[in-house]
Amino acid sequence: MADVKAISLYIRPEFENPAVEKAVVGDIERRLSVWERVSNMDPVRKFTVLVVLVVAWELYTRLGSINELMFPTFSKTFAALIDALVNAGLLINIWNSLSLLVTGYVIGISIAAVLVVLGVWTRFGSDLLTTLTAMLNPLPAIALLPLAMIWFGLGNQAVIFTLLHSIIWPVALNTHAGFQSVSETMRMVGRNYGLKGLPYICKILIPAAFPSILTGLRIGWAFAWRTLIAAELVFGGQVMDTSGQLGAEGGSAGGLGWIIFQNQMENQTPYVFAGLFTVIIVGIVIENGLFRNVEDRTIRKWGMQQS
Amino acid sequence: MPSEVMTTGAADATSAASKPNAPILDVEGVTIQYKTKEHLITATYRVDFQVFEADRFVILGPSGCGKSTLLKAVAGYLHPVEGEMRLNGTSVTEPGPDRVMVFQEFDQLLPWKTVKENITFALLNGGRCASKNEANDIAMEYIQKVKLDRFEDTYPHMLSGGMKQRVAIARGMAMEPAILLMDEPFAALDALTRRQMQEELLALWEDTKFTVLFVTHSIEEAVIVGSRILIMSPHPGQVKAELNAHDHSHATIGEDGFAELQSKIHNMIFADRVLEDEVVNHG
Repeated sequence: MADVKAISLYIRPEFENPAVEKAVVGDIERRLSVWERVSNMDPVRKFTVLVVLVVAWELYTRLGSINELMFPTFSKTFAALIDALVNAGLLINIWNSLSLLVTGYVIGISIAAVLVVLGVWTRFGSDLLTTLTAMLNPLPAIALLPLAMIWFGLGNQAVIFTLLHSIIWPVALNTHAGFQSVSETMRMVGRNYGLKGLPYICKILIPAAFPSILTGLRIGWAFAWRTLIAAELVFGGQVMDTSGQLGAEGGSAGGLGWIIFQNQMENQTPYVFAGLFTVIIVGIVIENGLFRNVEDRTIRKWGMQQS
Repeated sequence: MPSEVMTTGAADATSAASKPNAPILDVEGVTIQYKTKEHLITATYRVDFQVFEADRFVILGPSGCGKSTLLKAVAGYLHPVEGEMRLNGTSVTEPGPDRVMVFQEFDQLLPWKTVKENITFALLNGGRCASKNEANDIAMEYIQKVKLDRFEDTYPHMLSGGMKQRVAIARGMAMEPAILLMDEPFAALDALTRRQMQEELLALWEDTKFTVLFVTHSIEEAVIVGSRILIMSPHPGQVKAELNAHDHSHATIGEDGFAELQSKIHNMIFADRVLEDEVVNHG
């Protein structure tokens, strides 16, 4: 008890600072330095990573004296890519792949939308959606290609069928999950102003669930892109067997997968790399040019996702 | 009825001064039950009260007295198992723009819309305005009323908590509902901002004399904001008393009457708690 007594409150004099109104201490608001602003730009940082990878590739293939047929240098691949773009009509191949992809994407999203709306409105729809997604989401789309070829033959329809499978489930799954996680307050606000049915879904649920929906669209796009290239690779063999035409032109020139397959058959390893490179570049352009832009203009602007 | 027993001389004086013909909101014998996964819970039991025009009607009670549940029922989100709620004579069955709710949660503002768009969204969808221009004008008027001009094109995530609540209040008032429902709108704010918001709400009331039904668990807030206070007892929520508080505001905080009313309410709520403890001990 003696210890407790020894500690006593130290009572200090009070004071008020009369100068606090007038004092100006340094900057109240300061613009970030150029370096800080540049390093805050996402494209700049990502491009730096790319440059580092390219330099590593070039150094490894040059200094390691790697067989060119196995692993060409970056400069050779780049030259092959330019050559393919200028002389071999690579742009047409890219266009063929992309137009097929967009067709499948649009149809797939529409089907997913119908499924999700059913899932929101009725309990049966919700059960149907969750069961179908649980069953079919783990099934690789490319595994359906043989079946698609039996049903639709060797045409774009078969590819689109497999694309649909790779798009519908991730989009539907993410959208449905997004709808379910919309806060109760936001739902009540929507109903307070008399929103019901489709307007309620369009004006409250979709924007509120947009982060999840965008994730679904992204995953759907990535799955579809992979499936498409794989399907074209498989198709490449089939087309050559039946028609025997390797250098088809224009609309029947095939897509990017076909280019990779064709050049592999001709032992043109730099061109195979160029084809793979194109697949990657298209992926990056869509991801950074399209999805990133949509993200910046929506969920980042709205503060629903941190940058 | 306990509310009649508690009626004081002050209430007689005001009712003699001016008695409106019909209440805006008439809640009669409302019992609300809801189900959790394992239990059926009676949130309120045969609650009666009437809200008249320009009332600042506060429902006060400890947590678990069903005050928020009652407010959600008035808003039309929940349906009573017994009794009826009438708004201007019409029975309440579903949510509607004639009873706008201001929530405690900050996410009541739609994050994909700016301050102004949040208000015009309500005006256009709630059927108060047909044209966008008209909605814009009304929105700007109310944005100025809550002192948020300069922020009309800002997205909600860039606003502070107090500013978000101001937007929500502006949105509610812009709708000019028959009754404005407020569910502990200032509970998530810091004490200084809360006080400022209470003052502003009272100033807005002086300006337009809107009818508001306000739920809180703070005795002080009830006395400051309310003109009439309904005190509820918990488990299940029942009406314990209705008191007048129209004489009190921030200006009278230091006065005897304010402290008296506050301790009177405190004792009413505290009495319940003692009883409850006894029940627990004996059980």
